[in-house]
This record gives sequence, structure tokens and C-alpha cells, in this order.
Amino acid sequence: MAIARAPHAAGEAPRDAAPAAGLNSVHLTLEALEKRYGNLPPSVSALSLQLRQGELLGLLGPSGCGKTTTLRMISGLVPVTAGRILVAGRDVTALPPYRRDMGVVFQAYALFPHMTVAENVAFGLEMRKVSRTEAKERVMRALGMVRLEALADRKPRELSGGQQQRVALARALVIEPSILLLDEPLSNLDAKLRDEMRNEIRDIQQRLGITAVFVTHDQVEAMAICDRIGVMRAGRLEQIATPLEMYERPTTPFVADFVGRMNHLRGTRLEGGGVRVGEAVLATAGTSPAGEALLLMVRPHRIQMTPAATAQPEAAGRNVQPGTVRRVTFVGDALHYEVAMGAETMLVESSTVSGPQSFAVGDAVFLAWSPDDTLTFPAGTEA
Amino acid sequence: MSAALLTRPRADWRGGTVLMALLAPILLVNVLTFLAPVINLAMLSFRGSGPGGSIQEGLTTATWTSLLTDSFYWEILLGTVWTSLLITFLTLLCSYPVALWVSRLGARWRNLMMVVCISPLLVSAVVRTYGWMILLGDQGFVPGVIRAMGMTPPRLLFNETGVIIGLTEILMPYMILSLLAGFGKLDRTLEDAAGTLGARPFTVFRRIVLPLSLPGLLLGCLLTFVLAVSSFITPKLLGGGRVVLLATEIYDQAIVTLNWPLASALSILVLVVFGAALAVYGQLSKLVD
Ligand SMILES: Nc1ncnc2c1ncn2[C@@H]1O[C@H](COP(=O)(O)OP(=O)(O)OP(=O)(O)O)[C@@H](O)[C@H]1O
Ligand SMILES: [Mg+2]
Repeated sequence: MAIARAPHAAGEAPRDAAPAAGLNSVHLTLEALEKRYGNLPPSVSALSLQLRQGELLGLLGPSGCGKTTTLRMISGLVPVTAGRILVAGRDVTALPPYRRDMGVVFQAYALFPHMTVAENVAFGLEMRKVSRTEAKERVMRALGMVRLEALADRKPRELSGGQQQRVALARALVIEPSILLLDEPLSNLDAKLRDEMRNEIRDIQQRLGITAVFVTHDQVEAMAICDRIGVMRAGRLEQIATPLEMYERPTTPFVADFVGRMNHLRGTRLEGGGVRVGEAVLATAGTSPAGEALLLMVRPHRIQMTPAATAQPEAAGRNVQPGTVRRVTFVGDALHYEVAMGAETMLVESSTVSGPQSFAVGDAVFLAWSPDDTLTFPAGTEA
Repeated sequence: MSAALLTRPRADWRGGTVLMALLAPILLVNVLTFLAPVINLAMLSFRGSGPGGSIQEGLTTATWTSLLTDSFYWEILLGTVWTSLLITFLTLLCSYPVALWVSRLGARWRNLMMVVCISPLLVSAVVRTYGWMILLGDQGFVPGVIRAMGMTPPRLLFNETGVIIGLTEILMPYMILSLLAGFGKLDRTLEDAAGTLGARPFTVFRRIVLPLSLPGLLLGCLLTFVLAVSSFITPKLLGGGRVVLLATEIYDQAIVTLNWPLASALSILVLVVFGAALAVYGQLSKLVD
């Protein structure tokens, strides 16, 4: 799976994980946030992070892990049960939502049913006492951005789900808030519109230097536009890192699985440093005490597949294992192979253009991958 | 799928017949218990009334002429409409906060409070009216409290004030129920959204909550107005015979004076008032939508 990046993302401010570079640049700080509903176990707990001015954080995680709750705490819509929220060094934990200047796109849109599309978008400007003529112009610009100028006079119930979602996006963006909170703002759009909209969001966010949190279920989307990504699990922040680091060096098997596909292998560390997996001995990048039970993970597209008929590929410290193709799935831009390797089944992904040869079910093959691409975790830490 | 689509019109047609069959009993009941009596009433208003409550043969417009030319009846009509509008407004004012509060409770408390709100309906209006007579009477609780605060209490019983106080309380459950039905459309996330866009609580109420609750509010007002116009026990008891409204006058003409043609004509007048109220309601609901 290629890490698609928006073209403009390449040459911008360094995407490193250390936000504390200068104290002035820290914009949004969450300190040990916790939210409990009633006597239930906490929906969010011990959530701490810092965002720089103009940084875009992607928030990923399975359904019910507390993403929406986190956004609601930041925007002041639910009181926190513990912890602090700071904006530009000022404690806003006790401020009501209308004094926080944060734009929110709600997961369920929350459009005002008794107002037209234009009135919905204009609402925030009206509250900010923007003059009528200026408001009108900004509303039309915002609607143009989400490609909905033509529907300005409709009521929300006369729009499709995706159109409603774009109105919600325009309504939050038009006020040019200092902090933008997006709760799955693109979930109802088709693939093409989704790409366009996410780039629009990124453009505006960069142009105005808005600090933003973007909740999504789509890790590709998150990788494409976010400066950093946080993965949540059961109310806790499991890891927060740049997209590249998150993808290449996940700190837990849960994160590794969440950002892209993974092969799982179980093995035991040997004296010499290798790991025994069934009959095979594999090389890994890291070290650990001998005898430790390990979980090995390899990304499917980092595995190279060659026909067994040709010579065994150059070893050069790489892991090379024989296997047999069991299943081939064509998914458009890639081919997915299921390959039996000893007692294990490995998923291998190859781009449809790169390899001249493709393989058929029953073909004998060699699988080869680098020790650097073999992530190791202590067994028992997986999801 | 396409087959189902093709047979759709026929299914609809059959649905129409089924609908008619299901509606037939209620239509029949309505014709027998509403339309027929109303026609009968209208006919009766064109008969002459004799001494001792007798009804004369032959048709005459005498009743209607005297009704429409006598300013006494016009005053009753206007007084009734005005008093009922005032009662409707006061009922709305007292019920809206209660209904809004109840609609915001958690599911368990909401159900309990709804029962509490409509529980007065379990007690007959006559009993509740007597209750008010005890509370508002010269030696009653309310004047007592006012006296205790060192003021001279105004007369609260056997005048219009008493009628308005009593009817407002008696009609509140109907208003609360209608409002609660209308609050179903309210969605807390809409208020959240308005808040994040910078709206203060009062603005949220004025721009979001109030407009969205207008349909329920209008329905409650219609219902309360109609009930206020047609109630006669409470005005009779709390008004002590000194407050004359359309409903009490109909009662007097039908039961005391035994002038049935006049009572019928006044009843038709009440129906006209209801028709006007419905028309206004229809226009306003169209505006609200
Ligand atoms: N008002 C509430 N009362 C009680 N529990 C709640 C409430 N709101 C959320 N929760 C619980 O808190 C947890 C986190 O919910 P949240 O809505 O933040 O999840 P999420 O990560 O946004 O999920 P999704 O991806 O499905 O939107 C869930 O277990 C949910 O059941
Ligand atoms: Mg959510």
C-alpha cells in the first residue's frame, strides 16, 4: 500500500514529533484528560498531547474508542472529569463552547433544519457580527469550495448525505476558527470528492495556520494530510507520531495492525540473534533476550516474490523463504497473493505494473524481505 | 426488483381500497355523531321559540337577526375570544419552561415527570375548580398569603381573574403534552453546533430551540384555545355567574331559559370561532414550515 501524500505536503515545515521546539509555537495542549459518563469505565483517560500552531493531527482508532468524546471535550461540549485543556497557554477547561472559537464538523452533521444552506453557513458569521455583505461573499466562497454554490437556497432535508456533510464542512471553515475539530468530515463522500475535499481542508488549514484535529477511519486519508497521527484504543492514546514513523516504527502490534495490513508470525528468539518460526530461522532488526516468545510483523508489500524456477534470490542478509501460491486476488492497482510458507500463510502484495510476471495458484515461489522490515514485539502484547 | 416496481401502481390501488375500508367505520361514526347533530343544530337555530321552552313550527330567521344585531352577543363573542386568547397565552407561558425542562431529563425521569405533568387530568375539572374556589376565596390560601405580606388582596373569585387563573391551570396538561410532542424534533447536537459557532445560550434558544418547537407550540395553542372557548363548568363556578362567555351563555339558554333555537345559534357561532382558529393555525403552520 503506497503512502499517498498530497503534493503540497512535501515541502512544508518539518514533520517531526517533537512539538516542544519553542514554547510559543505550542497552541493546543491536552493534559491528562479524562471523561467518564456516570459510573461507567472512562470513555477517555490519561490523554495528553501538544499541538503546534498550524499543525494537523489525525486521530485514528476503532469505533467507540473515544475519538468523538475527545473532540467534545476540546470544544467544551462535555465537561472533563479530570485534566486540563490549554489554548496558547491559557486554561480553557472551564470556558463554554461559545467562547472557545473552535470550528466543529459533527459526525452527524447537525445542520439546522429550519435554515437554508446559505443561512446555515452564515450562522457563525452572524454570531461574529460580520457585516451582511462580507458574510454573503464569504458564504458563497465557502460553498464554492465544497462545490455547492448551486444549492445555497435549499433546506438541508433536500440534500443528499454527502451534500449535507459538505455544508457542515463549509459552516465550520467559513468562520476561520483558530482551532478546527473535524469528526469524520468526509465519511459520506465518494472517493474522488473525498480526495478533493481533504486537499481543500489541508490547503485552508495551512493557509490560515489553523490548528486542527481530524478524526477519520481511513488511515490512508490520515497519512495523506496529517502532520502527526494519534492512534487511540479503548480511551487511551496508544501512539502519536508522524505518518512515516507510525507506519514504519509502530510501538505496539495494535498500532501496526491499524495503519495498514500486516502479516503475523509467532516465534522464539535464538541464541545467535535469529528468530525461529516453525522450521525457519528469520533475521530481525532488533534484539531481545534469547528464549523470549515473539510476535513478528511484516508488511505485505515489503515482501518480494520470485519464481522458484529461477535461482534463489541474492540473500545478502535478507530473509528468504520458499512458499506456494494458494490464492490470487486482483484489487485494481495491486495483486494480493496468499502464500503458504511452512505452516504459516503469508499475504504478499505487489503492484500490477512493477512486476513483469504474475503468479498463478500452485506456483512455487521464494519470498524475500529485509530484516529491517521485520517488526518484533513481545508475544502477548497484541490486540 | 424491477418486477416489484412494475406491479407497484396496482399494489397502491389495492392499498387505497384497504385504506378506505379501514377508514369507513370512523367516517361512519363521525357522520353519525358529529355531522348529523351539527346539521340538526343548524336547522334548530332557524325555528322560533315559544314560551316554556316550546319550539314552534315553520322556519324563521328571527333568532339570527336578533343575535347579529344585538350588541350584547357581539360583546360576549369578543369577550370570549379575548379571554380565551389570554388564557392560551398564559397557559403557554407557564407550560413552555416545564415542557422544555421535562424534555431534557434522562429517559427515566422524563417518563416520571410526564406522568406527574398529566396527572391533574385524572381528577375531574369540577373537583379542581372547587379546589381553586377554596384557594382563591376571601378566606382562602392565596389571599391569606397576600395579606401576610402586608398587602390587600384583590378579589380573586367570582370574577374574570378567577376564571383565568383556574382555566390556565386546568388546561396546562394539554399544552404540556402538545409541546412535548413537538420537542421531539429538537436535537441537542443542533444546540451544540450553534454553541461552537459562537451562539450564547439565549441566542441558541431564540434561533434554534424556539423555531424548532413552533409546530408543537402552535398545536398546543390551538388545542388550549378551543378547550378554553368550550369550557363552561370552570367559568360558571369561578365566575360565580358574573362572567358571561359563549359557553356559559349557551348553557343558560339551553338549560335555564330553555330557548333552544338561541342556544343552537350560539353553538353555531362557537363552531365559526373554531373554524377561524383552525384557519389561523393552518396559515401559521405553513409559515413555520
Ligand atoms: N453520552 C454518553 N453516555 C454514556 N456513554 C457514552 C456517551 N457518549 C459516548 N459514550 C461511550 O464512550 C465511548 C466512546 O465514544 P465515542 O463516541 O467517543 O467513540 P468514537 O471513537 O467517536 O466512535 P466512532 O468511531 O464509532 O464514532 C463509547 O464506549 C460510548 O459508548
Ligand atoms: Mg465518533
